[in-house]
Amino acid sequence: MKQDYFSSNNIKHIDYKDTDILKKFINANGKIMNHKRTGVTSKNQRALALAIKHARFMGLLPFVAK
Amino acid sequence: MEDNTKNSDARIYEVGYLLSNSIEEADVALEYGNLKELISSLDGEIVSDEMPRDIELAYTIEKIIANKKHKFDNAYFGWVKFAMDPEKVLELKKKLDLDVKIVRFLILKTVRENTIATKKFVAGGAVAKKYTPKVRAEGEEAPEINKEEIDKEIDAMIEA
Repeated sequence: MKQDYFSSNNIKHIDYKDTDILKKFINANGKIMNHKRTGVTSKNQRALALAIKHARFMGLLPFVAK
Repeated sequence: MEDNTKNSDARIYEVGYLLSNSIEEADVALEYGNLKELISSLDGEIVSDEMPRDIELAYTIEKIIANKKHKFDNAYFGWVKFAMDPEKVLELKKKLDLDVKIVRFLILKTVRENTIATKKFVAGGAVAKKYTPKVRAEGEEAPEINKEEIDKEIDAMIEA
């Protein structure tokens, strides 16, 4: 089973400005990946989804790509 | 004593903002200074910040300024983390809403600690270990390798 990326890298707060990290969890169309694919814990998946949405609002990540 | 009670009410917030790309590069620093001054004037204590830098936006942002629609493909993105009274943050929001140079902004509750982790985990967190050859004690020599024995072992592995 895949390990939680945030726990294994000791990231306690998922920041919307960290686009390099957030980009790992969106697919080619810019959609947020399923938690089955990301392998992160439910708590972190919720925080991750929120961070991606904040980044989208600020124009750092796309709502739709392609 | 009074200061302590004042600080206990304060919460840590962060404001991320996009400055219009129509302003000159030199004026960006001025706007950045103005925002920090505004936060200080509302009894905010600045924790950390970053200078606005020109970024290419992921999509075109539209904003109506003075009854005219403006489109932005580039903007200056910056952020400030500060401690402030929750009631004062509403005032800050109202003031930022009126600022025409700010295309968009986002006020979030956060923590005092640094939350950006990217710099620590360049290249996906895989940090190559530096190779350090083992230093052999003096007089100790590498054990001789017997080719025949190794061949036999390999044969045994293949058979198994």
